[in-house]
Amino acid sequence: MQIFTKLFLVLFLFVFISSCEKDVYEVYEVNSLEVLPVNADKDKAKSDAQYVSILYTNYFQIPIGPNKLLEALNAIRSIGDKQIAYDIIVSKYLNQSPIMPTKTEMDADPETFIRSTYFRFLTRQPTEAELAWMLNYINSDSAITPDLVYLAFSTSNEYYYY
Amino acid sequence: MKRRKFIKKTTKAAISASVFPYILPSGIIGKKTTSMMADHVVFVLFAGGVRQQESVLQRYLAGSQNEDVEGNILYNMLAGPAPETKIAYGTDDNENDIIGRFPIDALLQNSLESQGTLFPEVQFSRGGTGHFGGLVTGVSGNYSSVDVGGLQSRPAAPTIFEYLRKHSGFKATDTWYVGLGTGGSRPLLNYSLHPDYGRKYAGNFIAPLVTFGNPGQNHFMNFKNYHETGNWDKVLEIRDFINQNFSQEGFEIPHLYNTTDEDNFIKSFVKSTFAKGDNVFLPPVNDNQDLKVIGYTLELLHWFKPKVTVVDLSNVDVCHGNFTAYLKNMHRADHGIGFLWKEIQNIPGMSGNTTMIVMPEHGRNLNPNSILDVNDWQAYDHSDANSRRIFTLMAGPGIDAGLRVGSEDEPVGDAADVVPTIADIFGIKQTVYDEGLIDSNARSLFDRL
Repeated sequence: MQIFTKLFLVLFLFVFISSCEKDVYEVYEVNSLEVLPVNADKDKAKSDAQYVSILYTNYFQIPIGPNKLLEALNAIRSIGDKQIAYDIIVSKYLNQSPIMPTKTEMDADPETFIRSTYFRFLTRQPTEAELAWMLNYINSDSAITPDLVYLAFSTSNEYYYY
Repeated sequence: MKRRKFIKKTTKAAISASVFPYILPSGIIGKKTTSMMADHVVFVLFAGGVRQQESVLQRYLAGSQNEDVEGNILYNMLAGPAPETKIAYGTDDNENDIIGRFPIDALLQNSLESQGTLFPEVQFSRGGTGHFGGLVTGVSGNYSSVDVGGLQSRPAAPTIFEYLRKHSGFKATDTWYVGLGTGGSRPLLNYSLHPDYGRKYAGNFIAPLVTFGNPGQNHFMNFKNYHETGNWDKVLEIRDFINQNFSQEGFEIPHLYNTTDEDNFIKSFVKSTFAKGDNVFLPPVNDNQDLKVIGYTLELLHWFKPKVTVVDLSNVDVCHGNFTAYLKNMHRADHGIGFLWKEIQNIPGMSGNTTMIVMPEHGRNLNPNSILDVNDWQAYDHSDANSRRIFTLMAGPGIDAGLRVGSEDEPVGDAADVVPTIADIFGIKQTVYDEGLIDSNARSLFDRL
């Protein structure tokens, strides 16, 4: 009986010791993440050929022909200030009936116009702040027309980068 | 006592004024400058290689084709009688099928040489005698800035445009490079890669035969100038907003820092020149591209009245294969330069207030290659010692008339001299020297007199 009690005590001690585990405290954290602007990945400048090809397609919804492209490149290179050369070529294309919304369409649904313009030229949606500013700008000035907005977008720095 | 105080104060002020830098109206701090000799400079740079034998030495066919005919075919620029026989440099006699039979009439009663100073023997002292290398030396005053190929590369050392914009506070539209075309490095010669200068101080560039030729007619002509409609401010407001949301440093369309007013002025110039069509101010004979470039240059001078204009004529670059065409194009370049000088005297503000400098970018060989032209005349490349021989001619306010400096036996001047010379005209010579970025041989031509 004593042996049985001793055995029981040993067994009890073994179970008691082996069942004791140290508490493990898990700490969960959030990985640090750098928040960048929506257009931060655009860090490569377009060549003149890329700029004109994409511009032409954006405006006329068809690709520019090779001869026309070479001519356009030569024209751009003939003016030292690229911003001025781009302003002029875009202003010329705007005078050649590009495919774009009318003033009536823009005024009827400015938010759709803004979203589609951002997507067409900058290949992204506007941020809430951008959308709010643009909406306010268009709604507060009846003289704003789609061609003015298109000219500004297609001669902006963001449009020049991809 | 008061008198002593006054003397002390004025002496201090005088010392400060001569020692400390000046703050220019543009806000740029510049070093001390001297007074300007002229308000405008037009620098005509031949990019094609001109031999001394057919230019300042006036040897016509005697120096090249073993024909005993000498004479001056550049009589607007140089003093001396024209050849009397074997005339092949003028306009063609189509009726009798004789090339270049009729010499073009002189436009200047007194040649530029008699109105100014000629350095008849100038050295292209370093590097290879290549066209773009020569152009780079002309606009930067440095040989080492020319890379191996010289093509599709900007100068390494600052150009005269950058010196003047940085140190004299000139606007972008005060400085122009007018090029014959857009090939090679030509559109890249308006500013350098130098980290302390570069695009921020660039001159404007235009290749008018392209801007107003077929490419421009198809892609620029009839553009809507939103400045004129009064809507440009709206475009700028929207664009500025988009640009503010893309504010990555240095990520911008490579503009030349023209102000909004200058931007408008350039666009109006383009529109107005298109509207002129064939009524551009061309020289009486205008049967090659150089002469058309001269015409557009005059339109530009009338419009902008730039402080510095570099005009690059290139049609003489045929001597390696067609000596007759080379003579014809040299004669036409002279006609164009005569016309340019004459018409500048009719531009209010520039008349009597402009210095003109003329220099080939390099020379051509003494011995011919094996190519013969329609007259069986030999052609010349550009690689030997003779191709390092050029001339420089300048005329304008304060420049001695009828003066020759140097000779074949005693060369005076270097192809790199034009940059310090223009800097001297605008009163910043010492600043340019102090920057230490021009060739060690380069000197203002006024210091070589």
